[in-house]
Amino acid sequence: MSSASDRSAAPLLEASGVSMVFGGLTALNNVSLTVGREEVLGLIGPNGAGKTTFFNCLTGQYVPTSGRISLDGTTLPSDPAKVAAAGVARTFQNIRLFPNMSVLENVLVGRHVRMRQGAIASIFHGPGFRKGERLARERSRELLDFVGLSQVEGELSRNLPYGDQRRLEIARALATEPSVLLLDEPTAGMNPQETEDTRQLIFAIRDSGVSVIVIEHDTKFIFGLCDHVVVLVQGEVLVAGTPDVVRDDPRVIEAYLGKPPEDVAGTATEGEEGR
Amino acid sequence: MITKLVAGKPGLARPLSIVGGVLLIVGALLPWATFQLNIMPYPALSTLQFFDAPFGVPGFRLHVMLLGVAVIAVAFAPAAIRGRTTKALGWGALAIAVVNAAYLIVEGGGFGTITSAHGAFAFGAVVSAVAAVMAIVAGSAYPAAPPVTWDLKLAKPLEWLVLVLAYAALLKVVADTLTAGGRGGAANPYAGAVFLSFVAFLFGVFGGLNGTGLLRWVSAVAERHRAFSAVVLLACAFVLPFTEAGTEQWIYTATNIGVFAATAIGLNIVVGLAGLLDLGYVAFMGIGAFVAANLSGAASASLGVDLPFVLVLVIAAIVAGVFGAIVGSPTLRVRGDYLAIVTLAFGEIFFKAAQNNIAGATGGSNAIPGIPPLDFLGTPGDAAITVFGAELAGGVLYYLLAVVIVALVMVLFANLKSSRIGRAWIAVREDEDAARAMGVKTGKIKVLAFLVGAAIAGVAGAVLVHRLTTASYESFTFLESVTLLSAVILGGMGSIPGAVVGASLLFVLPEKLREFSDYRLMLFGLALVLIMRFRPQGLIPDKVRRAELAGETAEGGSLKEAEERAVAEQERADDERLGRTGVTEGRS
Ligand SMILES: Nc1ncnc2c1ncn2[C@@H]1O[C@H](COP(=O)(O)OP(=O)(O)OP(=O)(O)O)[C@@H](O)[C@H]1O
Ligand SMILES: [Mg+2]
Repeated sequence: MSSASDRSAAPLLEASGVSMVFGGLTALNNVSLTVGREEVLGLIGPNGAGKTTFFNCLTGQYVPTSGRISLDGTTLPSDPAKVAAAGVARTFQNIRLFPNMSVLENVLVGRHVRMRQGAIASIFHGPGFRKGERLARERSRELLDFVGLSQVEGELSRNLPYGDQRRLEIARALATEPSVLLLDEPTAGMNPQETEDTRQLIFAIRDSGVSVIVIEHDTKFIFGLCDHVVVLVQGEVLVAGTPDVVRDDPRVIEAYLGKPPEDVAGTATEGEEGR
Repeated sequence: MITKLVAGKPGLARPLSIVGGVLLIVGALLPWATFQLNIMPYPALSTLQFFDAPFGVPGFRLHVMLLGVAVIAVAFAPAAIRGRTTKALGWGALAIAVVNAAYLIVEGGGFGTITSAHGAFAFGAVVSAVAAVMAIVAGSAYPAAPPVTWDLKLAKPLEWLVLVLAYAALLKVVADTLTAGGRGGAANPYAGAVFLSFVAFLFGVFGGLNGTGLLRWVSAVAERHRAFSAVVLLACAFVLPFTEAGTEQWIYTATNIGVFAATAIGLNIVVGLAGLLDLGYVAFMGIGAFVAANLSGAASASLGVDLPFVLVLVIAAIVAGVFGAIVGSPTLRVRGDYLAIVTLAFGEIFFKAAQNNIAGATGGSNAIPGIPPLDFLGTPGDAAITVFGAELAGGVLYYLLAVVIVALVMVLFANLKSSRIGRAWIAVREDEDAARAMGVKTGKIKVLAFLVGAAIAGVAGAVLVHRLTTASYESFTFLESVTLLSAVILGGMGSIPGAVVGASLLFVLPEKLREFSDYRLMLFGLALVLIMRFRPQGLIPDKVRRAELAGETAEGGSLKEAEERAVAEQERADDERLGRTGVTEGRS
């Protein structure tokens, strides 16, 4: 009984002392953070702060210069394919779907890592293969339904409007059955309505038992969404805490927003409407 | 430029296309050559004028006339199909006119051949070309309309009948194309002209039918009855030896085409699905060929073992597949151009190694001759056989074997493509990093593409070598790799019918155009440049599946629906925003 409660108390994802140096440039310096179960963590910071680089380190695209990243107590391998298998999935800041595949096929590629059919089964299409394929399609359609794209499953993904492409990326990432989902600026380029839809979607994802880390520039969005917020500036964690704490921290306002306290709300609204 | 003149004036389109159509008929009836050429008379009674006997027009002139009639008929067809159809018919007629004019000018020694000389006039080619251009211009002047689709569903037996008729027509087209112009060479100097004119005519006809939406409808019907159409298609392939193309020579050519079509489909896995350029692909075919030669019991092979052919096929596939995996392994590290260089180098290494009789396995410049014919249940593969009282030419059994191999490779390709593995290949082609982030082990999956592609080439090579009866390194040059790659690109990457049509065209052409054999690479290059410019998706792009996934055959329909959906979506979103604004602001 104790092990179960220990497990839920321990953080799900833990990064400790992660540094990433490119040549002479220190993109990340000793970054540590934790994500609990069913938690939404916001990662904010000015341009070039190292947010995307941190995601790349988490998912194995980059091998950190130093530091350790573990999921559920096990160190994550530095190979994106294995990280996906371990249960960390991501979306990209600049959308990277498979443009000439249909919407459904994009999600099916996300299922790849949870399917087992090898080349031989794929050639002969036996009963076992067909069953697995049917289940994968069912699951993918559920996910499309979940993000609200089931009407366009046959469309080529490159023909989707921008907001739908972002949602499709989320569905594709969810298809890998992650325990942690990394979203890199999921509302960039969205109108206020789509942004709100995305927020509800992230809540729903959290409620389904998946922890989420969200990178966003839209602070209003982040403060209304996250359980905890980490502010990254020039590769270092400046402040970490609940939205209320972070919002009122003068260092954040100075470093990130560059405005006196009373203008915070105004800045955020402006930022959102500027999109 | 001419197109621009009429672009805004759809009123001109119909009169212009009617005039074009009439002039095409006139052009077909006018003489095309001022004199009988010296070597032998030019085809289609080119010096005769046919106004007194319009029903006697033969050959390409008949085709021009038919296209003219069609252009006129289309002018009175439903508006939506006029533009595309007229344009396609016009291009077909133009190609026929240009091909024959070019041949007449070159063979006749000057422009006098197709204009006037020695008091004789022959403006058939010129009039037809001008008329064809008019049709093309008229086609572009018609108001632009989305591609037509037929929402027609018939009773099952009727749809089956449609398919049988369609495939019978296809069989006839294939037989006619194979035999068109006969075999090129000194004794038959105009084979190329006749063949090219016929292909141009087919392009006009198929393009026109495509414009009417008929082809899309038939392929939708075929899609509805997949198993049935597969059976009919296979049956048609088996009937080919009973047609006029059933002579030993054309069956031999058809066998070659089959073998190379299978290889092209294999290459399509590597290039079309996984998006990896392979410039040395024919080497795998060569490996399969030499494996089979050594296991065939040929007296000249250093390894004089005689194994059952099925076993030989398996071994050839495995050996070639292993080499494929080895060659593919650099793909773990190198991308794009570098990979092309690695594969190119492998092709050359294979060629040189085979030339130098490496390990005594290839016979070097002596090759491995005298490979005994395959044994088909007691009948040697090169023997003539009698079926249903019909005497079939020698080599028919090899042809049937090639058909079976192509069919199997097609099934293999289609199955792989719609599987976890196939999707991973396509994902790697589309965005390797994203595929990796989704958990696709991109290195393994790329090596697997090379392995499967190479294994298919190995099987094809094993069949080929028995048909050739000699395994020589000379059959597996860089030129062959380029031809296969061109076939894939020409037909449409990732498309099965595309690979078959591409391989058919590129491996029949050399039979017909012997006089151009020195320019083969140049012509391929030209063809590819044209394809890339005007139809980058290939002749028969891989589209059927997309339509199938959309749950409908109509591109136009699905577009319209998507639009309606978008509007509805927007309205819903608007409603919600109005209803929810308060909540949003309360939260922040
Ligand atoms: N592969 C790389 N090689 C060299 N420098 C890199 C590399 N990737 C990122 N950087 C540098 O690291 C720094 C952090 O970049 P990163 O993309 O992580 O910022 P970010 O916080 O995501 O910014 P934005 O909000 O603009 O997306 C930048 O200075 C960037 O130029
Ligand atoms: Mg970023």
